Amino acid sequence: MSAEAVIQIRNLSKIYRDFWGRKKVRALNSLSLEVYRGEVFGLLGPNGSGKTTTMKLLLGLLFPTEGEISILGKSATDVSKNERIGYLPEESYLYRFLNANETLDFYGRLFNMSGETRRKRTEELIEMVGLQHARRRQLKEYSKGMTRRIGLAQALINDPDLVLLDEPTSGLDPQGSRDMKDLIMRLKSQGKTVIMSSHLLADVQDVCDRIAILYGGELKELGRVDELLKERNVSQMQTSSISDACLDEVKAVLAKHNVEFHKVDHPTNSLEELFLKTVERSQQRPGQRYVPESEAAKGGTAS
Amino acid sequence: MLAISLQPEEFDLALGVQRWLIVFGTVLLVSLLVSLMASLATYGGTGPARLFGRLGYAACDFMSLSPRRIFAVALLTFREAVRRKALLVFVVFAVLFMFASWFLTGNSERPEQDIEVYVGFVFTTISWLVLLVGGVLSCFGLPEDIRLRSLHTVVTKPVRRNEIVLGRMLGFGSVCTLILVLMGIVGQIWIVRQSQGLTLSCRVPIYGVLKFLDRTGAETSKGLNVGDIVETRGFIEGGTKGAAVFQFRLPKSQPELLRFESRFEAFRTHKGSMDRTIQARYVLSNEEKGLRVPLEKFNVAEFSQNERDVERKISYTNEKTLKKEEVDLYNDLAQDGWLTVHVQCLDRGQYLGASRGDFFVRELPDRSFSAGYWKAMVGVWLMVVLLVMIAVTASCFVKGPVACLLCFCVFVLGQPAHDFMDKLVTGKQVGGGATESLYRLVSQANQTTPLDNQMMERTLKTIDRLPSGSLWIAKHLIPDMRTFSMAAWVGKGLDVPWYSAMLPSLAVALGYILPCVLLGYFSLSLRELESK
Repeated sequence: MSAEAVIQIRNLSKIYRDFWGRKKVRALNSLSLEVYRGEVFGLLGPNGSGKTTTMKLLLGLLFPTEGEISILGKSATDVSKNERIGYLPEESYLYRFLNANETLDFYGRLFNMSGETRRKRTEELIEMVGLQHARRRQLKEYSKGMTRRIGLAQALINDPDLVLLDEPTSGLDPQGSRDMKDLIMRLKSQGKTVIMSSHLLADVQDVCDRIAILYGGELKELGRVDELLKERNVSQMQTSSISDACLDEVKAVLAKHNVEFHKVDHPTNSLEELFLKTVERSQQRPGQRYVPESEAAKGGTAS
Repeated sequence: MLAISLQPEEFDLALGVQRWLIVFGTVLLVSLLVSLMASLATYGGTGPARLFGRLGYAACDFMSLSPRRIFAVALLTFREAVRRKALLVFVVFAVLFMFASWFLTGNSERPEQDIEVYVGFVFTTISWLVLLVGGVLSCFGLPEDIRLRSLHTVVTKPVRRNEIVLGRMLGFGSVCTLILVLMGIVGQIWIVRQSQGLTLSCRVPIYGVLKFLDRTGAETSKGLNVGDIVETRGFIEGGTKGAAVFQFRLPKSQPELLRFESRFEAFRTHKGSMDRTIQARYVLSNEEKGLRVPLEKFNVAEFSQNERDVERKISYTNEKTLKKEEVDLYNDLAQDGWLTVHVQCLDRGQYLGASRGDFFVRELPDRSFSAGYWKAMVGVWLMVVLLVMIAVTASCFVKGPVACLLCFCVFVLGQPAHDFMDKLVTGKQVGGGATESLYRLVSQANQTTPLDNQMMERTLKTIDRLPSGSLWIAKHLIPDMRTFSMAAWVGKGLDVPWYSAMLPSLAVALGYILPCVLLGYFSLSLRELESK
């Protein structure tokens, strides 16, 4: 990973005030962090921890009370930085009276793209997010998942260097979620920098290189995911299935070296993996359905 | 009466620009000073540097405007309005026009008044409907965008805030233009159908400069007042040397035939002759050459037009030599292209009232009705565009309902209240300013007579004069919406004049573009779109 920082945040604080200028809430307190080129960076935290505020400060939708932000070498309020940024908002904030083609054409125009470039890019993105069948339907007729996908397409219309994704997998089914994560990894492989905020910790763990955990507007943890999750005082080894006798011998060896034995069991798949396997199987063998064991014993078969 | 509502006043563009610069400059300077103080209070010593940095950034934003982005926002706005069924306003329009003829009854004795009624109805209906649609759409467009956070996906692209403001103005302006053009076409067809059997034309008036001569023939600034409260007309005494002197700039094309058209008002001090109305005559003169060419006397038609055709070659009897002579209108009578016409009342003891709008030279041939109709429609369009600009600007810093209220106030203040502000600023308001009026109200003093206590009156007037500067600014900040009303010209069968109607309305609309865009830009730039 290159050490070039695309985002530098120094002592960033944000206080929301009421109409009379009185302090309402301190959403962010002295946040300092850096995000490097080519990494996938995760912002984690419970509701009200300040991650969305951080995102909006980065985008210039909010102004900092204190501190400084440098994004791609420019100030957060400098509009020209947006030339190289893509943003997927938390909810679908797109214009619901436009269809997919018009939506991408509109955002393409905002980047001063020529007509031909816009048409080409629209085709690529609509195909990428799998909305060919619904390209002429108004967005108000879209499901939540479809809306997220067209939202993602608009975020990538300018082939950005830095992509900010606010809750990218929210509202997506597991397949959509998988696709989104694959896309994030693809963006990373293209050398792009991705910043995402999410409540779904498994998603963050799957794709992020580094994370920052916020709580109460303050930075509580920052570092590489694998480093942060590593338990240094516990060891784990994986073998093929072992017999009871072998297990007893292993325990004896461990006791001889004064190592405390905790547990031994069989690893399980994640629910996501099970779900995706099931969906894949269903697509390969349509019509097959689940038959309870009791019925199968009576002679029932899966059809 | 025709003339009271149509008093053409030449628009002084240079003076208009000068006033615009004074008002705009003053507001700009005050805003800068307030911003400077605010920046000092907020950021201390670094405040001014931040402020000027921000102003520099703003200048860059204006230098790097992108037509494509502005067009994108305008197209989005247009689509939004159309898909949100803004064009349903045509249903209301159609219903009004389907049943309008039931209520607009004709006058068989004076059919030309019917056209006036039809034109008035069409223009009033179209103006209000388009203003309503344009105002509501423009007031709620941006605030809804901010509320639904759709604007977040726009401002996170390389779009300048001034591009958003301009795009919105252009978009809503286009929607209103489309509605206005369609309604205008339907309105014209409707007028033509309703006016079957009547001649629809558009006379082209050349208005003159008016001055008066008193009963001794000496020049005076205005005519006699016969007791009218509104001093629109000056009166001349009959059977004396008193005259209303009109000077017309003749057309350069030098047509063979000119038509004098007038509608004077008579004031009688005695019954006079029962079998005719008051008599008057035109006298064409060239003082340099000592020429006085009286035309035939005519009976003043008080409730309709007096028309008199004047040919290029005029035969007349010289008053001094009593010989028949012939003069050329352009070579002998006109002086540097200007023709002087004296209007004299011939009946002793009777009076003739004249104003600038009462007498004009009609250029022949007439123009088509469509020419005047669409010129007046341009006036409505400029008013709608101005309202859209103000509404979009207001929506940059307040929510939709508040922006609506603000526009409504501007519209009301710009119509009847503008006249009131005018009088307050110029000190012509009967009963004085706020303090004097209050004093008169409490002391139950008559509004029209001087106060008994002259010292008190002087003091009150001085107090009232104190805020006159800011009132002058306020008067010029609020657009004079009356400028855009041109339907009366069309209703009277006249062409809409360029210098006294089209140019001032265009100047007023243009004068608001830069201030509106600047205010909208700074409001949107300094505003946190996500503020809680």
